[in-house]
Amino acid sequence: MATFELYRRSTIGMCLTETLDEMVSNGILSPELAIQVLVQFDKSMTEALESQVKSKVSIKGHLHTYRFCDNVWTFILQDAQFKSDECQETVSRVKIVACDSKLLTQ
Amino acid sequence: MASSTTSNVYIHVIDDVINKVREEFINNGGPGESVLTELQGLWELKMMQAGAILGPIERSSAPKATPGVTPVHDLNVPYEGTEEYETPTADMLFPPTPLQTPMPTPLPGMAQTPLPGNAQTPLPGTAQTPLPGTADSSLYNIPTGGTPITPNEYSSVNDNGGAPEVKPGPGRPSPYMQPPSPWLNQRPPLDVNVGKQTITKLCVIEDTRQQMTLVYDITIFCFIVAYVEGREEGERGASHQPMTQDFFMMSAGKRKRDEFASQYPNGGYIPQQDGAGDTISNELKVGQGSNTQHNTTIAGAEMSLQGGRSVSRISQLDGPIPDPYDDVLSTPNIYNYQGVVNEDYNIVNTPAPNDIQAATPAAVTQNDTVDDDEDEPLNEDDDDELDDVDQGEDLNTTHLVLAQFDKVTRTKSRWKCTLKDGIMRINNKDILFNKATGEFEF
Repeated sequence: MATFELYRRSTIGMCLTETLDEMVSNGILSPELAIQVLVQFDKSMTEALESQVKSKVSIKGHLHTYRFCDNVWTFILQDAQFKSDECQETVSRVKIVACDSKLLTQ
Repeated sequence: MASSTTSNVYIHVIDDVINKVREEFINNGGPGESVLTELQGLWELKMMQAGAILGPIERSSAPKATPGVTPVHDLNVPYEGTEEYETPTADMLFPPTPLQTPMPTPLPGMAQTPLPGNAQTPLPGTAQTPLPGTADSSLYNIPTGGTPITPNEYSSVNDNGGAPEVKPGPGRPSPYMQPPSPWLNQRPPLDVNVGKQTITKLCVIEDTRQQMTLVYDITIFCFIVAYVEGREEGERGASHQPMTQDFFMMSAGKRKRDEFASQYPNGGYIPQQDGAGDTISNELKVGQGSNTQHNTTIAGAEMSLQGGRSVSRISQLDGPIPDPYDDVLSTPNIYNYQGVVNEDYNIVNTPAPNDIQAATPAAVTQNDTVDDDEDEPLNEDDDDELDDVDQGEDLNTTHLVLAQFDKVTRTKSRWKCTLKDGIMRINNKDILFNKATGEFEF
């Protein structure tokens, strides 16, 4: 089954990757097993975001850069505003990376 | 600093992952439960340090799900990787049973990670187009290169030894019945059964270049002899003798000239050789019919090996030394075109230096102005300002949103998109969302 490796770049994904890297470097863990863990992380993260998260966010800002390559959109916004039920954030520059949701369901 | 809901979701994800991989850790000779526990502990520690989850973590003493019955692995079946990330180990790729085991596909683990439609994420921290999985899958260099041979190396060797120039001629069967054995320790006998015009196996000697050229040359020679032999048989109907013995003699590393000089009669038959040996082969063909069949073949075999060696050396000197400014290096007809090439191609083919200079005018001009202080200023400070604009504001790196898109549309300069299932890292905070709508002005 294919997974999006997208979420490995998040905080939780980077922490996992760093941990696995350390353990593989120390020889405690085999690289094959580390990759299996990462794949399982991809699946679990995707599933958790679908089922456990219910919030909605709106984004507004100035589009500085847009890119679509290999079915991945990359936007770079400037002076962006994120509004959700709980909070509102403003950032001067943010990068948005989005994979095609239809690819997982195929 | 994370909200409680975000923290809870993360904890749930961690638990889910650990539970699902527990089976892999415990069964099939995995590292064990202790390593798994260490992994979980380190992961949670890093998350707490990053502020993504709130400690301490309260876990209910829920009973662990009993692992399902592990499927019984059928050891009688050759190994087939079940998942795309499973890389066969050296033992699986090269099992002890020799010769009959077919050559497996090289290292599926090292192949591109197949996702439908190549939907891959970019490398972390870069805004480049994402490469299909090469970066991520190469995070862990799977050390199958430690085996004596890798299938990739082998296949290239095989190509060289496959005698690409051999043309058995009309009506002749393919010279190779099987691919050669990949195991270095085994030396199947070289059975050059010329009468049947087939060559069953090559001996794969130690992987040194010199000896590989020998094998290559032996291969070339075998077909040539086979062809020649067939022709001569048709003409004379004489019987031939197998040349197995002679080949083994010849394949023994260094040889002395005396051995060949004695057996090689002047003007005797030497079969056609590839590459620069064209002139020699023409002469040899003339003397083809002058000796008995057996002597010619043996002598020819030995000479071809010796000549093959020299041919292998000569082939590198084939043609004139190309002009360094001439791009037409690999054309075999460079000899013929040399006069023309010098006039036309040199002018056309040397734009590169000019282009390089044209592409970096900034560096050149700066060099001119600052030459007084240093010989070659390193221009270290050129790009610092750009970087500060991006990252100098927060302690953290660039704010990032990772999500899936449902739709992206544009009307003139107004962009709209609908995203789902996303993780946002903004102002040092982690925010998760199920749906998001974006409106951007370009």
